[in-house]
Amino acid sequence: MAILQQFAQQLINGLVIGLIYSLIALGYTMVFGILGFINFAHGDVYMIGAFLGLVLLGTGAFNFAAAMLGAMILTAVVGVAIELVCYRPVRRFGKGFEDAMLVSAIGVSIFLETLAQVIWGTETHPMGLVIPKVVYQVGGLYISSLQVLIALVSIGLMIVLHLFVTRTVTGTAMRATAQNTMAARLMGISVNRIVAVTFAIGSFLAAAGGMLVGAYFDAVYPLMGWTAGIKAFTAAVLGGIGSIPGAMLAGVIIGIVETLGAAYISSAFRDGFAFIILILTLLFLPSGLFRVRRGEGKV
Amino acid sequence: MIRRILTVVLVLQFGLLGLAGYGFAQAAKGNLVVGVAGPLTGTSAQDGNDIKNGAALAADIINKKGGINGKKIELVFEDDRSDPKEAANVANKLANDKRVLAVIGHFNSSCTLAGAPIYNKAGVVEISAGSTSPAVSQAGPYTFRVIVTDAFQGDFVARWMVKDEGLKKIAILYENDDYGVGLKDVMNAKIPAYGGQVVAAESYYLGETKDFTPYITKLRALNPDAVFIGGLYNEGALIAKQAADVGWKPPFFGVDGLYSQALIDLGGKAVEGTRVAGFFHTAQPDPMVQQFVKDYKEKYKKDPGTYAAFGYDALMVVAAGIEKGGADRAAIMKYLTTLKGLKGVTGVNTFDANGDVIKDPIKLVVKDGKFQPYVKK
Repeated sequence: MAILQQFAQQLINGLVIGLIYSLIALGYTMVFGILGFINFAHGDVYMIGAFLGLVLLGTGAFNFAAAMLGAMILTAVVGVAIELVCYRPVRRFGKGFEDAMLVSAIGVSIFLETLAQVIWGTETHPMGLVIPKVVYQVGGLYISSLQVLIALVSIGLMIVLHLFVTRTVTGTAMRATAQNTMAARLMGISVNRIVAVTFAIGSFLAAAGGMLVGAYFDAVYPLMGWTAGIKAFTAAVLGGIGSIPGAMLAGVIIGIVETLGAAYISSAFRDGFAFIILILTLLFLPSGLFRVRRGEGKV
Repeated sequence: MIRRILTVVLVLQFGLLGLAGYGFAQAAKGNLVVGVAGPLTGTSAQDGNDIKNGAALAADIINKKGGINGKKIELVFEDDRSDPKEAANVANKLANDKRVLAVIGHFNSSCTLAGAPIYNKAGVVEISAGSTSPAVSQAGPYTFRVIVTDAFQGDFVARWMVKDEGLKKIAILYENDDYGVGLKDVMNAKIPAYGGQVVAAESYYLGETKDFTPYITKLRALNPDAVFIGGLYNEGALIAKQAADVGWKPPFFGVDGLYSQALIDLGGKAVEGTRVAGFFHTAQPDPMVQQFVKDYKEKYKKDPGTYAAFGYDALMVVAAGIEKGGADRAAIMKYLTTLKGLKGVTGVNTFDANGDVIKDPIKLVVKDGKFQPYVKK
């Protein structure tokens, strides 16, 4: 029974980290769905979200929830700013400039990392946690209140996103733009506005992930976007890049596989499991778990 | 047209920036240049900056007294970011700079080892203020250190855990690099030798692994009497915190890698009771130590950490080399091989055939938010 218990415990560990990957993966997948572009700077947006939250907490005027919400809003603004300053002008050059977009994204990534290092230094900052930490014992399993919080918040946000995308006009416009940009324009949808909204939502969610991770590990540092970003990107690919439910599911899968792999196969190889999944996905299931039909007429 | 002009301007700008990056520092004529290489940024930044401060303090004191034979010591600082690849770049840079007489560096064992072949080939002394991996002993005739090896420290802590405290079942969490692997190997050998048992050994990556929950779950199930952390303060703090989050509070043990104020700053209550072996403590009654603590506080407005003390000693050793051996790379190295009994703030420095030192460790424990000498109840 202890073996099963251990396994269940590891599943919980993996689920929690996986939900964070899902939150970040959503940003990658939504932007790709509409623009056909992989925003490599997204991992760093997640990092900025964590730092902004840290700053807000540091003023002492916000409790954790308020700081998280504040950070999410601020980061959404940052995300839109990046789109307006670094991506849209490149897109205006028209077709054939996709490589320039990638370079721009990498540039933004380096810029954000360096900016964070210049402002906050390179050391790891503790969050100075303000959440009371309780340990729940459920049938011999240990679950920390933080884990519960992460699960509730991330699942909650994903439900809200799903409702937004399926039940609101803007959400429907997003789906339409992702399906076929030209047709969306013909329907009177302002594609530029939708793109901005997409970046805003993606960054909004990434910041939530950043704050939750910062609280969970009590560690915020400028390069935190790198590993998380790669794994979230892998999740987006595994889920079928462009598919929102895919990103949600795949993030959890990666978190669980990584944790179980680290626990049962090799702790040293831990990060490697995500990359193995990426390679296997690209080799055998390149469209991912949920195939997304890409329409013509991309921006 | 405008675009073309803009492009040319940008290219020129980047070109100039690139040149500036070479940092053509003009040293004042006749200065004795000593390089200091270590992690000034990154996850070991606190330790790297401590070494820098300690060395700078020592240089200041010597310069205020007139320098060495009338010449002032000038320090050149290089950041290796705890990355062995960067350490190799830094080593090349310092070794190729003919003004550099010796290098205090690096901190992380993997970085010291990365730089060693380069320093040894160029014939410049590399003296580490923080690398404890046993592998450094064989790194070359020009590689020295003022800190003891983990073979020695690990043995001390193993004896402390198993024999002195009676903790038999030990789980090990270690950094997957030269430092951590070296420690793990030592503990794997010494713990059973003293009558204990290593129940598990899991590894993680310096600076990258943040989620320790899988390892904590796994180790907890094995019910060890104590957990030995073969790594540095950042990860040590995270491990302790994440274990406390799920209600697990095993005794944590470590060597000098955990002995840093940052462990307490990051770990908070979770690291209370953590025990480490150290070689320096601000409360030591030795007058030389007390003078050092006083000078350090005056200059930097805070207490010195253990690596500041090692950095200080390293510069003292190099200064002795320059003074007695001469302002010449080979002469310094030759002198160091004969150096015996130079008292420092971390102990007495006598180099053995491998350039290693032996110093007596102190038992320390985190109590009431500070590292204090450990007293068995």
